[in-house]
Amino acid sequence: MSQDLTYEQALEKLDEQLKLLEDGDLSLEDALKTVDEARVYLKICTERLEAAKRKIEVRPEE
Amino acid sequence: MIRPEEAPRPFTVTELANEIRRELRPLTAVLLKGEVTGIKRGATGHFNFTIQDGLSKLEAVLFADNARRVATLPEDGQVFLFRGKIDFFGKTGRLSFIVDQVEFDDVGKLRARLEELKRRLEAEGAFAPARKRRLPFIPKAVALVTSPTGAVIHDLQQTIWERFPNMAVVVYPVQVQGAAAPASISRALRRCNEEALADVVVIARGGGSFEEMFAFNNEVIARAILASRLPVVTALGHTSDRTVADMVADAECRTPTEAGSRVVPKKADLLIQLGERGRRLERERDRRLAREVERLQSRRERLLQVLPNLVRSRAERLARARADLARLSPAQQVARRSEALRERGRRLDAAAAARLARGRNVLASRRAEERLERALAARFGAATRAVDHRRQRLVALSPESVLSRGYSITQDAATGHVLRSAAETAAGRKLRIRLAAGRVGASVEKVEP
Repeated sequence: MSQDLTYEQALEKLDEQLKLLEDGDLSLEDALKTVDEARVYLKICTERLEAAKRKIEVRPEE
Repeated sequence: MIRPEEAPRPFTVTELANEIRRELRPLTAVLLKGEVTGIKRGATGHFNFTIQDGLSKLEAVLFADNARRVATLPEDGQVFLFRGKIDFFGKTGRLSFIVDQVEFDDVGKLRARLEELKRRLEAEGAFAPARKRRLPFIPKAVALVTSPTGAVIHDLQQTIWERFPNMAVVVYPVQVQGAAAPASISRALRRCNEEALADVVVIARGGGSFEEMFAFNNEVIARAILASRLPVVTALGHTSDRTVADMVADAECRTPTEAGSRVVPKKADLLIQLGERGRRLERERDRRLAREVERLQSRRERLLQVLPNLVRSRAERLARARADLARLSPAQQVARRSEALRERGRRLDAAAAARLARGRNVLASRRAEERLERALAARFGAATRAVDHRRQRLVALSPESVLSRGYSITQDAATGHVLRSAAETAAGRKLRIRLAAGRVGASVEKVEP
């Protein structure tokens, strides 16, 4: 599910979670859950940055 | 006589053909202006056509090699400026103009055609921003449709890797100039979509004159870009005019550097951005935890304040409960009841003893035995006297005492019936007469009622 997110989508989710946390209306339990979720999105973002593999491929005209 | 004695040997046809070719050799790099008719493309990629000016015509050929290089391909009915040489082909006996360059003679006319193409595309909505595909924020790979040599591809790669060091690049080498360019670029675009090795395409070249750039004003390229599923970015260099390719592309850049920046983000910036988010996240978590610790601390203090009272009231309740429990426990109840029973037993014994003592006292006080005997004697004396009196009356009244005074009782001997009247018997009946002493049997002789 969340594994299909693009960098931008994951970043948007992360920012939503951060806003929830910074608004400060969450119970402790919800806050810790939100932190955990936000960490997942942070990880997805980082993974997306490292997903590409540097290489150059030449596809000559057939 | 066409052949005098001293005349030289006649040419063979081939010799003359070669002679003609030699004679024509100065006619190289000739500039020729004329209108094209009857253009035909041969299977090998050559173009054969006629160049005319209304009075004269020349056969012309554009070989495949040159056709790929020229800025534009000749078209029927259009006037072009050709560069080439005159050659004579011995095999066919024909003279031909071998074209190596083609240019529009009338650029104004060409521009007019271009404007017409733009109007058509515009009417289709091909330039509408709403139609444009969105570029991926981080592509998995970038396809470069460009000349495989030169500064353009180098600059593109350099920019992409400077910004995103681990980005993959797929190069589709194409011709970016000349008549073959539109078809070459269109094929490459189709392959980009089919192979899907990348998810964004950059079409690049290093700029040029209007004529040099004319391949990118071709409808074939415009259609190929429109048909692409992958977003297409143009980077065609600094030109005086935007090409049709620029207008239908999903993003339009000028230089390879600009295009490189457009297709990949700067990874370092993103890492900084993520780092900042990470720190904010930890800060929020710490802040939230600290607030919770604070809240717990204040609750603990409040608890400590109210605790003594709580303990006291609880201890009191506990003591009461313990007392209740003791009172209500079965062993205690049994003990209490057996004590009550014993108490009642004692009371019963005492009552009985008291009663006996009272009875004994009563008897003792009455001298019961003597008084009883006296009472009985008195009672029996009176009774004896009453009995004697009744006996005397009974004797006086009994039939025997009546009989003793001379009376008798006459009974019918057969029935025992006591006769009270003479009428109760008849002569001849046997009678039994009871006297005071003894009986007499008699017979009735006569009745006198």
